[in-house]
Amino acid sequence: MPKKNSIASRIKHEFQPLLGLLAIYVIFSILSPTFRTLDTFKTILTQAVILGTLATGSTIVLISGGLDLSIGSLFGLIAVCTGRMYLFGVPTLLVVILSLAVGAACGALNGAIIVGTEIPAFIGTLGMMKAYRGLAELLGANMDMSQFPEAFQMIGRGYLIPISIMMATFLLVYVILSRTKLGFNCYAIGGSNEMARRAGVPVKKYYLVYYTVGGLCAAVSAIILASRLNFTNSSWGVGLELNAIGAVIIGGTSLTGGVGGIGRTVIGVLIVTTLNAGLSHLGVSSSWQRISIGAVIIFAVWLDIMQRRREASGNTVL
Amino acid sequence: MKRMYKRAALILLVLLCITGLAFASSGKGQKEAAEEEEIVIAYSGFPGGLTPFWAQMAQYVKEEADAQGVKLLDMSPTQADAAMQKDSVDNAINRGVDGIIIGAVDNRAFGESLDNAAAKGIVCVAVDTAIDHPHISALAQTDNLSSARLLGQYIVDHTPKKGKALILGGTLGHQTGDARRDGVKQVLEANAFEVIFRACNWDDRLAYETAINELGAHPDIVVVFGAWDPGALAGLAAVKEKGLLDHIKVYGFDGLPPAIKSIQDGELTATVKQDNKQMAQVVVRSLVAQIKGQETVKKLLIDGFVIDSSNADEYAE
Repeated sequence: MPKKNSIASRIKHEFQPLLGLLAIYVIFSILSPTFRTLDTFKTILTQAVILGTLATGSTIVLISGGLDLSIGSLFGLIAVCTGRMYLFGVPTLLVVILSLAVGAACGALNGAIIVGTEIPAFIGTLGMMKAYRGLAELLGANMDMSQFPEAFQMIGRGYLIPISIMMATFLLVYVILSRTKLGFNCYAIGGSNEMARRAGVPVKKYYLVYYTVGGLCAAVSAIILASRLNFTNSSWGVGLELNAIGAVIIGGTSLTGGVGGIGRTVIGVLIVTTLNAGLSHLGVSSSWQRISIGAVIIFAVWLDIMQRRREASGNTVL
Repeated sequence: MKRMYKRAALILLVLLCITGLAFASSGKGQKEAAEEEEIVIAYSGFPGGLTPFWAQMAQYVKEEADAQGVKLLDMSPTQADAAMQKDSVDNAINRGVDGIIIGAVDNRAFGESLDNAAAKGIVCVAVDTAIDHPHISALAQTDNLSSARLLGQYIVDHTPKKGKALILGGTLGHQTGDARRDGVKQVLEANAFEVIFRACNWDDRLAYETAINELGAHPDIVVVFGAWDPGALAGLAAVKEKGLLDHIKVYGFDGLPPAIKSIQDGELTATVKQDNKQMAQVVVRSLVAQIKGQETVKKLLIDGFVIDSSNADEYAE
């Protein structure tokens, strides 16, 4: 009986955000004739690319019980690095590889600071958020970084390539989380850091990897945007980390670690993007769009808390 | 357990059916919308919450749209974020509006969106900032280069002691910011000033921090020019904090009420007045005329003029 209840509750957990997304989509489709077009659908997916790739990294970090507030600034730093490399005449393939490497290295540095100094992730990554932003401002000061080569612009242009990159990122992290020891231990560490350590899991080593993946995803995201807009500057990514974390939480991944998945993040990202697009189609101003996303975040977390309480009380009774 | 699966599958199925029906009827919906003859235009400008110039612009655009009898959708982003603004333009295109007015956060961000608008026959015009794309069919802006030259000459005439001039600029590569920098810089350098330019991304905080640092590093600065009034006022705050107001003159660009008040208070020396009301009127009229297939103005460069202590009262609100 308890087993049956727990499976039912799990299904409920898995389906709720998806049903929420479908309900939002259906409501906007009914309210706005222009929303229910293939073009709008493709635009929603395209607009989800930047947030989606960034949130993928946040998902793995949050499931492990960590938090990375620096990814928005890291996003700006990578964008500036990309632009600077073109000013130095670096070929496109190398620009992409080096930008990814910078993202991974900065992510690893975040992890190293947190596990090395044992300061809370919130503080450690807050410090790095400031540092990366400053570095981006230094590197990008008085530089016109635009008009990139055609080959680079191909990465973010249109629907197919950026959406494929996003899907590939989702798939990669899905495989990591669901099919590898790295993923299994991610849930274990996020569930209880101390228990995992006692069970012999090298927690510090794993944290380094999770934060590295977070940095790598930030780099992928920044490269796509630089390519799509065909310019960069150091102010990019301000507040983007909170948008990414918000989308992950809306999808149902727990902020306290141990629970979540990439499928939920996909849904969370699509909920945010669909809400923005749908409200735009209804002529609702950007400020109200922000208010509604805020309300959805609060509602999603409240729902999660209520369900956990119900489950806890149910388990106690049983 | 089975019941749970069934219920979830049923809900999904129902929702998918409704979506399918919605998609199927979309042609009809569009047709109905087309039958309504109301012209719908979208405006995506620099966020009004960040600077009064753009708050006024949004208001003037709305007033003119009302006067022209067209429906206006204000789809401006809330942040000075080029990606967010591109998304808002894409949403306007998908929404099937008749025309779009863009007051660009960054003029380099719209290539793909404008290609898409061109393919769908949506008329696009620019206000304040030129966008280098063949589908932009009209532009109303201040003649930033000539107005900045005018201000440059004013600075030369009112600064007897030559020295260093600090320019707090917009975003590098942004058409408007570059023109203002170039106009002032050309005249000052031709008159023996040494110009220090710093890009501040239209960010007031960054302008303040930059000014504080540069004033510390260059004690011989005699002029500070902010390429937008809030940036100039941030520079002015730094000058005052350093106790240098008697030695340094500060200039702005926009002609916004806070800058004019500062001139009246004897702090800011001068600013260039931009006529954003005329810009809004011209661009909305041009857009509506083009949608109706009428001949219209395609480019209007409006001359700015200097507001200083001699005429500040006249333009104060």
